[in-house]
Amino acid sequence: MKDSYDGPILEIDTLSISFFTRLREIPAVMDFSVSVMPGEAVGLVGESGCGKSTVALGVMQDLGKNGRIVGGSIKFKGRNLNEMSQEELRKIRGSEIAMIYQEPMASLNPAMKIGRQLMEVPMIHRGSSEKEAYERALQVVTDVKLPDPKRILDAYPHQLSGGQQQRIVIAMALMAEPSLLILDEPTTALDVTVEAAVVELVKELGKKYGTSMLFISHNLGLVLETCDRLCVMYSGEAVERGSIKDVFDEMQHPYTQALFRSIPLPGADKNARPLRAIPGNFPLPHERPPGCNFSPRCDYFEAGRCDAQDIKMQAVPGNDRHATRCLKFQEIDWNAPIEAGDQTQKGEPGRVVLKIDNLKKYYEVAANALFGGAGETKVVKANETLSFEARESETLAIVGESGCGKSTFAKVLMGLETATEGQILLDNRNIEATPIEARDTQTIADVQMVFQNPFDTLNPSMSVGRQIIRALEVFGIGKNEGERRKRMLELLDLVKLPRAFADRMPRQLSGGQKQRVGIARAFAGNARIVVADEPVSALDVSVQAAVTDLLMEIQREQKTTLLFISHDLSIVRYLSDRVMVMYLGHVVELGSTDQVFSPPYHPYTEALLSAVPIADTSVEKKHIVLEGDIPSAMNPPSGCPFQTRCRWKSEVPGGLCEKEVPPVRQLGDGHQIKCHLPDEKLTEMEPVIQIAAE
Amino acid sequence: MEPLSWIEIITRVLLQFTPVWLSLVILFVLSITYKRKLGLYGKLFDSTIGMIGFALVMFWVFTGIFGSFGMIVTHDALAQVSGMKNELPGAPLPNPDEGQYPYYLFGGDNLARDVFSRMVKGAWIVVQIAPLATLFAFMVGITLGLPAGYYGGRLDTFLSFLANLILAFPVILLFYLLVTPEIVETGIPSYMATVLFVFPLVFVGVLLNSRYKTQPNIRAPLLIGVLGIMGWLYLSLISEIGSKVAVLPGFLDLFDIPSGILVVFVSVVFVNSPTVFRIVRGLAMDIKTRDYVAAAQTRGEGPWYIMLWEILPNARGPLIVDFCLRIGYTTILLGTLGFFGLGLSPESPDWGTTINDGRRLLQIYLHPAIVPALSLLSMVLGLNLLADGLREESLRD
Repeated sequence: MKDSYDGPILEIDTLSISFFTRLREIPAVMDFSVSVMPGEAVGLVGESGCGKSTVALGVMQDLGKNGRIVGGSIKFKGRNLNEMSQEELRKIRGSEIAMIYQEPMASLNPAMKIGRQLMEVPMIHRGSSEKEAYERALQVVTDVKLPDPKRILDAYPHQLSGGQQQRIVIAMALMAEPSLLILDEPTTALDVTVEAAVVELVKELGKKYGTSMLFISHNLGLVLETCDRLCVMYSGEAVERGSIKDVFDEMQHPYTQALFRSIPLPGADKNARPLRAIPGNFPLPHERPPGCNFSPRCDYFEAGRCDAQDIKMQAVPGNDRHATRCLKFQEIDWNAPIEAGDQTQKGEPGRVVLKIDNLKKYYEVAANALFGGAGETKVVKANETLSFEARESETLAIVGESGCGKSTFAKVLMGLETATEGQILLDNRNIEATPIEARDTQTIADVQMVFQNPFDTLNPSMSVGRQIIRALEVFGIGKNEGERRKRMLELLDLVKLPRAFADRMPRQLSGGQKQRVGIARAFAGNARIVVADEPVSALDVSVQAAVTDLLMEIQREQKTTLLFISHDLSIVRYLSDRVMVMYLGHVVELGSTDQVFSPPYHPYTEALLSAVPIADTSVEKKHIVLEGDIPSAMNPPSGCPFQTRCRWKSEVPGGLCEKEVPPVRQLGDGHQIKCHLPDEKLTEMEPVIQIAAE
Repeated sequence: MEPLSWIEIITRVLLQFTPVWLSLVILFVLSITYKRKLGLYGKLFDSTIGMIGFALVMFWVFTGIFGSFGMIVTHDALAQVSGMKNELPGAPLPNPDEGQYPYYLFGGDNLARDVFSRMVKGAWIVVQIAPLATLFAFMVGITLGLPAGYYGGRLDTFLSFLANLILAFPVILLFYLLVTPEIVETGIPSYMATVLFVFPLVFVGVLLNSRYKTQPNIRAPLLIGVLGIMGWLYLSLISEIGSKVAVLPGFLDLFDIPSGILVVFVSVVFVNSPTVFRIVRGLAMDIKTRDYVAAAQTRGEGPWYIMLWEILPNARGPLIVDFCLRIGYTTILLGTLGFFGLGLSPESPDWGTTINDGRRLLQIYLHPAIVPALSLLSMVLGLNLLADGLREESLRD
């Protein structure tokens, strides 16, 4: 199917897409142009709601019944997709343009075997025979590096892990050797180490098949690793377009600059060099300002000029195909040093508030759900010998991928579950065996939690103020309704929300605002220990910084102990004092942030550090790709939990890793790791992240 | 006098419904004007199907209400006029009295009663019983479904088994059993009423208690007041002099429900609540995994607060839609009961009974059966369309 066409594979020219609701027309994409050359990978970056997915759906001509292309053209290999009939489009979709979506499970038919689903593609598009199709499927599955391809082809989607499913989706997209591959946040639903492996695979396959790619992501680091060029979008418009190097190192748009300043790069520090959040909120599509969409949030805004007329893309002289949508890009001094934000004093950790000693949490799972009880039971070891201390006004980060037991620990601490063994001491009182119903109000108010998903953390049918007042009522704060209302307004002040929000319903708030309400609610009873379960991972980059800083500020004022659960090592490095790395219920490494982020590492920490994409061209990273997936907690490997994926395993003599769980070793100054590696090997380790000398 | 032509009949019928048209116009004008401020109800007016359904339903609701005040109806629904037996629509009365409406607009039935007036009176019975019975069924279903879904485990297994047991029982047979004089004699329907009607009391009591648990000074008077009034109503409802359950002395008994109606009520609630139970249980199982439920748990809320104030309000969308559909089923059920002559008195003007009466002469005279049949059809159709509209609108945006 390779043809001799050598122009741009995809050429989008001044594309405008609108959605029509019963109230008004909502322009989702305006005046958007981008071109993808053969073999090129173009990244499309922006916050949620900026229209990047709409562009992808526009290319597929699949905008639903109320979306319409209202201007411009989308040319695929020189043919305008807008003018094609449904028949022609069906021929192109899946065979010449393939798309990979965010949720792998949602892209696969759960009732069909993997092999069947893959074989459909060549059978439909090329009329291949069943045998040819099977051969092709086998080859592609081998290409995406899945073990035992024959068995996989005979499996149903639910029998595979998330990472494997996404590989199958990629395989399916590659079945017909498309000229263009559209990837819509392909790794967002995956764990970091799995994400790193999938990204590696996509890059490799892109080279092997010579496929052009349109890579949609909100993660600048990921785009840096995968793409040749990128296009930054803001509120429906492309604001900057150019090669990775130009945009990352010589950015020419204030939004791009602000975006880079709000993500925690190595070197950012919560006290000395705090992040700068972008002020204000993302404008709703029907409330866009006149002129430049970014103007209300821009530091360089000039009234009467930036808001006077529609702004067109302008080429940046001297660079290759680098364009920006800013009137003042030649006047702004892009290299001016960042205005130092408010520098703050580091809070001194005080006395020990929380002490965890040898905590274990096992779940018993009936081996046979239908006739359970009489049969044998399996034990899932969700937490294995957890021991650590947390001090007043200290941030302790708990790092690990899904299934590592961090959420189970949070549940036990909160009292939603009781511990199997060991103890939790809060102010020298044992609370590990007290379920939440039996705890006194003070204990409950002292230990509170901030949840991950902002869209799920507030009850959608209760007003914001009401929810905070309810927390105050439960914690017994305030004598009457009036006092509680006053306190609720103060809490809104604390999280920097306007007092008028008290009467709003959660659906009227943005994700970041909801998360602030969640924080206010957690601090309603003057909590001393707050468990923050990935509080910012579901938020947009520009909002993340603001919410993180808010948490830090409240912590400084109230001397709160913050247990920050996260898988994002960039943010952990930025804000935590100490870090605890967990894998399959075990604490594999514990130490101060500096100790954990510099060698010697635990092999798992090393792989995690390498897997996190960093949006900085001057950072050099060692590439360590972990093989396989995280083992199931139901059936953990023998010996060291990490031995199945560890690259240092061969360095330990006598196969010790497979036989024994490693002991906890003290490396001095409170730094401890759980590993069999001999001391000399540990000292040999090189840092994973190095910032190239300027 | 000459019988009326079809055009005259239609004109006169339309004229007879004047108060209903007026009310419908006022209701729609007001609703459409303020639809942006009315939440889900307002959104209904963006959907054509929903509006048609709502109009049909409200037509019968207004007809029922005005009919009960003696408007719209042309004759006494029970009075017989000699010479009008099985007369065709538009037939004039042989010698009308002063002020008496001179025609049977939809003809007369086999007992020479006015079909039109009986249709209007029948609407009132449906409009009274169907929503109320459905509401009681929802109270029972919600009060049992929430804990089943929230706690799961043995309680869930037990309650679900019970629900399946009731659902597996043949409905019509159950009705026959309940109205059999021997069974009524044993007091089973009265005892069932005693049990089923206590659920709203439990529901409201738990609802208020969990909400005001933290404020004892508000809780006590509120609970005493509300439960006192509801308890009195409840006792008046179930207690009847002469029946097995006569707990209240006559002077305290506020109202008496004819035992026939009570039986109808009990059977409808009994049959509908297991289905509601299953819906609520499923919704509760889904919603209990949300973070806001976890947030409520971590601040030490009791289980009933979580069920009634965190889970139930967020399950309201599907429940409202199901409520509309279920009123439709209940209407059909009432028709079925009437058709079999169960519960309601034989001369009752409700649609099911009238259809059954008309059935015997269906081959010769169509009108006594077709009029209530079409009424039933249009009302249930309206409720289904309304539910469709609500579902469509609540899913949007």
